[in-house]
Amino acid sequence: MRTAVELKDVSKRYGGTVALDAVDLDVGQGETVAVLGPNGAGKTTLLSIALGLLDPGSGAVRVFGRTPVEALHAGGVGVLLQDSGLLEDARVAELVAAVAGMYPRPLPVEAAMRAAGVAELATRRVGRLSGGQQQRVRFALALVGDPKLLVLDEPTVGLDVESRRALWQEVRARTAQGSTVIFATHYLTEADDYADRVVLLAGGKIIADGPVNTIKSLVGGTEVRFVFEGADASGFETLPGVRQVRIEGRAVALHTGDSDATLRALFAAFDDVREVHTMSTDLESAVVSLAGGAGR
Amino acid sequence: MRSYLGLELRRAFRNPAGMILLTGFPLALYLLWTKVLNVVPQGQRGDFAAYSMVSMATYGAMGGALFIGGAIALERSKGWSRQLAVTPLPPHGYVVAKLVSGMTGVLPSILVVLAAGAVLGGVRLPLWTWPALVVLIWLGVVPFAALGIAFGYTLRGQAANLAMMGVFFGLSVLGGLWLPVQAMPEGMRALAEYSPAYQAGSLGWRALDGQWPTGTGVGVLAAWTLLFAALGAWRYRRAL
Repeated sequence: MRTAVELKDVSKRYGGTVALDAVDLDVGQGETVAVLGPNGAGKTTLLSIALGLLDPGSGAVRVFGRTPVEALHAGGVGVLLQDSGLLEDARVAELVAAVAGMYPRPLPVEAAMRAAGVAELATRRVGRLSGGQQQRVRFALALVGDPKLLVLDEPTVGLDVESRRALWQEVRARTAQGSTVIFATHYLTEADDYADRVVLLAGGKIIADGPVNTIKSLVGGTEVRFVFEGADASGFETLPGVRQVRIEGRAVALHTGDSDATLRALFAAFDDVREVHTMSTDLESAVVSLAGGAGR
Repeated sequence: MRSYLGLELRRAFRNPAGMILLTGFPLALYLLWTKVLNVVPQGQRGDFAAYSMVSMATYGAMGGALFIGGAIALERSKGWSRQLAVTPLPPHGYVVAKLVSGMTGVLPSILVVLAAGAVLGGVRLPLWTWPALVVLIWLGVVPFAALGIAFGYTLRGQAANLAMMGVFFGLSVLGGLWLPVQAMPEGMRALAEYSPAYQAGSLGWRALDGQWPTGTGVGVLAAWTLLFAALGAWRYRRAL
């Protein structure tokens, strides 16, 4: 598999804080990669460095074998940034057409607007649109160059359910044609549903990197959740099968490799346990458990 | 690059607030000086109508050139330059588009004031002088475009516009665009004659009498242009 994006031993500090710490990342052409992690984990820093918006403090970055800026100027990359502004006095179609003209082989403006769901807003001024509509305009700007690599930082923030689904459908259509997609998101179900691979960042380090199922199985097992009204909440970690205990107020979550054994012992040992339910580990609790472990 | 320039040109010509500020204001001032107030004695009215026409056309054009930087500052603070940074448009493509569209947008303010001079002010000049005035005034404000760009890459948002308002007003008064330098005290006048706005205005004032620009005038303007362009290039590189 040929490489689309390659980061080698990239570190970045802001003053005393380390935003990225010796990150190695290879994204092959055609992959769909989700970058996940808590706030401040370094997701935006990682994407900014991969796009050449930020210089890495140390290490090397390549996009299609070139520097990120060269790759951008060659027209191989489409980007949706979280905090980019748009020209408020321009009409949607004008803006999309102006950006299309910067790329060597753009999509027809009409097609890009339709794909991003802004075709019916073509003659509206950007400043008059709602936040969600502006986000869709940003998506149109990312798509219109027909790029081989699409980088999306929190693409669905502010979108309603319908627009969110439409956006991911479009992303999927592009990956089906061999495009590479890298996205950062807070909605873990989006990573679960649309990414082939998850890169999990915490404290500027990659703490897990692999297919979604691999990430889930790193944590694996089942969660047993219940409300505990007793005074002494110690001793849960010694129950059979339990790997991790999380207590938030009266809510307790036990991460266990053998829920049957854990439950039997739990009822035998504690009287004040109520509202017990079990669930299989989803990506969210996998991430919380992995990122939480690294943060401590 | 061409597509982006096209968008910037269209934007330059449909910004009503900017057009009123940079065309309507010099026009209104021109009519105030020549039609409403008694600034000069009866016998000199005709000369003053022509002189003031050049002053106000230069004044409006100067503002248009300076406020290229205001637009840059605003678009930087609103994150548009961040959006452009992730397109294939190189950073200098943005500056060039801003410069070309901004300097094109300056032309209406020159044309409107000259037209007012001809139609309402009764200014009569040899035919060739009119296009010469347009070109000279337009070239004369090039240094202010460079200065504006330096501001645009130094300050952000409204701060840049406020600072430029001050510079705009200060330089145009010092350059004798509001009241002739002849009315200034000796020391201020010496200073005024080396200021960029005075030399920009002089290009047109001399053309009224059928005179070529002086070597000193062109030299002073070129020096200001180089200085402001160096300042602009330095701020631009710092801001990237």
